[in-house]
Order: sequence, then C-alpha cells, then structure tokens
Amino acid sequence: MTRVAAAILVAVLGAFPLSVLFAPPITWLAVAALVVGGTGVVLLSIPLVTAGASVALIEYSVALVMAEAAVDLVAALTIAATLVVLLALVHLASHLQDAAVAGSIIVAQLGQWLVIAAIGVAAAVVLSAGAGTVGGALRGAAAPIVVLAAALGALLTVAGVIALLTNRESN
Amino acid sequence: MSWRPTALNVSFLTLIGWALFLGILTGRADVIVVAVPLVVALVAGRLAKVSPALQIDHELSAERVFEGERVTVTVTLRAKTRVPLVEVLEPLPARAHLEHGRNHAFFSLQPDQEVRWEFALRCIGRQRLRLAGPHVRLWGRLGLAAAETHYRAARTVAVYPHVAPVRHLPRPVRTQTFVGNYVSPAQGEGIEPGDIRPFAPGDLVRHVNWRATLRLGTLHVTQHHRERNADVVLVLDTLSDVGAEGQSVLDVATRGAAALAAGYLARKDRVGLIEYGGHVRSVRPASGRAQLQRVLDTLLDASVVFTYVTRGVDLIPPRILPPQSLVLALSPLLDTRFVSAATDLAARGFDLVIIAISPVAAARAAARRGAVGDVAARLWALERRAQLDEHRRRGLTIVDWDGVSSLDVPLAALRRPRLRQVVAR
Repeated sequence: MTRVAAAILVAVLGAFPLSVLFAPPITWLAVAALVVGGTGVVLLSIPLVTAGASVALIEYSVALVMAEAAVDLVAALTIAATLVVLLALVHLASHLQDAAVAGSIIVAQLGQWLVIAAIGVAAAVVLSAGAGTVGGALRGAAAPIVVLAAALGALLTVAGVIALLTNRESN
Repeated sequence: MSWRPTALNVSFLTLIGWALFLGILTGRADVIVVAVPLVVALVAGRLAKVSPALQIDHELSAERVFEGERVTVTVTLRAKTRVPLVEVLEPLPARAHLEHGRNHAFFSLQPDQEVRWEFALRCIGRQRLRLAGPHVRLWGRLGLAAAETHYRAARTVAVYPHVAPVRHLPRPVRTQTFVGNYVSPAQGEGIEPGDIRPFAPGDLVRHVNWRATLRLGTLHVTQHHRERNADVVLVLDTLSDVGAEGQSVLDVATRGAAALAAGYLARKDRVGLIEYGGHVRSVRPASGRAQLQRVLDTLLDASVVFTYVTRGVDLIPPRILPPQSLVLALSPLLDTRFVSAATDLAARGFDLVIIAISPVAAARAAARRGAVGDVAARLWALERRAQLDEHRRRGLTIVDWDGVSSLDVPLAALRRPRLRQVVAR
C-alpha cells in the first residue's frame, strides 16, 4: 500500500513538468525521473528516490526555462509538498518491511507530514510576499548584486541546517 | 537515550541544494520557493528532542520447553507521555523460527497507554535459547531524527531434547535391591508366584497354597518372586559428532538418551548419565522426576570438546557406574577410543548395550547432493555395517539406529532375554 502511494507521488513529480511544457527533452527527463524514482520505490531505497526527485527538479527547472512561463507559486509549492511527503513515506516504508503495524499509525503519520508540509507552504507564501516587498526596494540594484546576495543567503541557510543536524544532543 | 539525525536528512539537504542551485542558475523564483517547505520540514523534524518516558516489560511463556515446542514472547510497552512512533525489534536467535506474529513492530502510544505485543517462536534443536531483549527506536517527526536504546533484559529458555516414548526398553540382566518393576529370580516378597514348598514355621497363613495342600495332604506355601529395580547408566559419546547443528549425531544421541532416561525412570529404575568425551561429565544414578530434570540439564549442554586424552572407564567411580548396572551407550562409533572404552566396560562384566547411531544420514544431509556423494555414502554404510559385525563377533551387543525412525525399532531386537557374553578385548 505504501509502495503504491509512493509510486503515485513519483508519477506526479515526473509528470508535472510535462504540464508546463510537453517537449522531447522534458519527456526524456521525465522518463529518467520515473525510472530512477520508480526503482527507488520498488526497492524502498531512499538514495534512489532522492536521485529520482533530483532529476524531476531538474526537469521542472528546464521546463520553466524553455517555456519561459510566468512564476507559478502554487505549482512550486505542490512540488515541494509532494517531495516532503514522498521522502517521509519511502523512509517509513523502508522500515516497515516485515513489521507488524496498524493502518491507523500510517494514517496518523501521514497527517503529521501533511501538517508539516502545510506549515512549509505557509512559510513559503509568507517569504514570497516578503520577497515581493523587498524586490520592490531592490528594483534599482544591479542584477549581479542580487544574485550574489541570494547565493550568500542560500549558502548560509544550508550551512546553518548542516550545523543544526551535526550538533548531536543527548538527553 | 540520544537523538541522532537519520540518513533522510541527507536527502532533504540534497533536494534543498538542488532547488537553490537550479533557482539561482535559471533565475526562477518558483524553483527557489520549492526549497522553503523542505527547509521548514528539516527544521521541524529536528525539534522533537525530548525522550518520552517509556516503560518496557519483556516476558516469556516458559523457561523450559522441549524441541519443537512454542514459546510466546510478550513485550509490554507503557508510555507516560505521548509517543508518536516507536519501533520495537526483538532479534531472533539462529535456531528459533517465528511461528506466529512478528518480531518487529511499530506503535503509537497516547499518555498512560499500555500496549501488549506478542509473538510465538518455535525452538529448533536442543539449546539454551537466549533472547537478549528488544531494541527500541523512537522516531522523530518525518523520520529525520531517531533515538535508539536496547532494553537489556535477557531471558533464557532451556530447549531440552525431544522425549519420545520408548515401549521396548532393554531389560537389565541383573536387578538391584530396591523395589521396582522387574521380577527377580530371587524368592521373597512380591506378587509374582514362584515355587511351592512345604510349610515352615514363620510362614504367613495367607501364603498357604490350599490346592497343593489338599492334593499333597500337608501344608504347602507359595513362594513369590521379588520385584526389583535396576541401575541404568547412559553413556553418551561426545568424542565425535557429524552433521548440521540441530540434526547432528550428537543431537540424535541426546534425544535417544532423554527418551531412555524418561522410560527407565518411569519404571522406578535408577538412571545415571556419563558424557564420555573431552570433558567427562556425569550424573549419579538416582530415581524420580528430579533425576530426569538433572539428566536433561546435562544433555542440554552436551557437546564435543576436542582432546587427545581420554579418561579410562576404570577411573569412573562406582557411585557413578554402579556394579551390575545396565549400561546403554549411544555412539556413532567413529572414535576408536570410545570403542575401546565400551569393550573395556563389557569385559568388566557390565551389561552393555551399544546403540550405534548411523552418521551416514546426518553427514549426507549436511553435504551437497550429488552422484559421487551418494556412492560415497553407500560405501560408508557398507563399511560401517562390516565394522558393526566385527564388534558383534567380539561379543559386544550392538543395535543399529538410523536416528530417524523410533528408537523402538532397533530396541525391539533386544526383547528376548539376553545372556552374559564373553568379550574378547
């Protein structure tokens, strides 16, 4: 059951960019994402699913660039929420193999993941609104400075998260 | 209990990195936005760090079972605070099969909730089955953090050799002085009628044989045979072993010894045990249910200890090997030292019966199938048969047991009364 749910999420991830632009390069990338991600779901392998999701993300970016589509926050947040639930689902399913587990536990976990995904979506909406305001102020600034500031911010974010994760605490 | 990040963090970080990299590379804000829920999830997954108060009890349905019987393992979890997801795993020993339920489970507990989790194991082969206790893993949100602990409450189950009923137990040539089930040739108190003789002062009136008295004209009494028990000493050959664990010749021998001990003890005989090998261990002959427990406990630990030195049977004290006892030796007769010891016992006047357990089937089961193996097994069986005939010619009483069929089959050949034999050393 968990495999079927994960397979549906992989299919959504792989096929979603095709709705942005249906073109041969995007199709090939979609096939790659589906094959790698599908194999990961069958084997319940987190690295393979991550690889498949990465290919799907590349496919989405390429589709956006090639289509020169307008910014679509809803689509981006759908992909983000799908990624969160997919990773959590495959990770749990890989540990559920040969284990006794009640269906209510999986439902409860799914509810928890959706709450976290919803919080993430809300945070993204708030940040986007904030970025719109800041973007207005930076309209006169040169593009390289904006890119540099964004890259620095991203770098600091990743560094902060790594520091947070590697800080092993015991109680 | 310490919380540690799981491998899932790497996946989240990878996707965050890709989203940021692709967003900056393509200059698309919506690709960067994809990273935001992932970052939020990563941070939220790391927030739950308080270890919930979880109490675990680990119980077994029995501490002593026989081969093939079931043991039910019950794990009880009690939570004082809410536990969103807890994983419990009880590692299974090599020679225990899961019969019912699962040894791996996930639970979600509310405050003050108690969960009982059961699974049944089938114990294969004699062993001291050790269950080390369950491993417990608490999962954080999204599986991004986990805390592990091992509930160290080891429980041991003694899995005794299977005791099959034996109907045709070899009768001892000589009996002992205690009351038992064997009719002794000696006259005395008993219920089995013997000779008739003239009445003598001191004879009880109830022993008067009135029919003989009327026919012969003088008082005659009926004598009775005494009912006596016997001393039975089981000798287990632990100098050599063949076959896979649980199905080896030694395992078969322990099953045979357990069945014989149970059969003789049920007949009120005194039963002793000698483990003849690298370590000579023994159980003094005694009777009763406690003695069966002692014999089974010794059989449980019987194993081959390699040695070049063996203790002669002359060094075994009479309290372990009483004179006039029936000695039943269980051996594959692969080690010449055991053959020498058995010959020595027979030459010393012990009533000896060797139950020769065939190692061919055990070796064949452990080895790879093939035509060459089949031919070798047949040659080995022929050679072994010739060897047993040679021992029989020397005066040893040997029955051949394949280890698969009931022990009654080879022992049926000993139903006729045996005579003392002269053994050529």
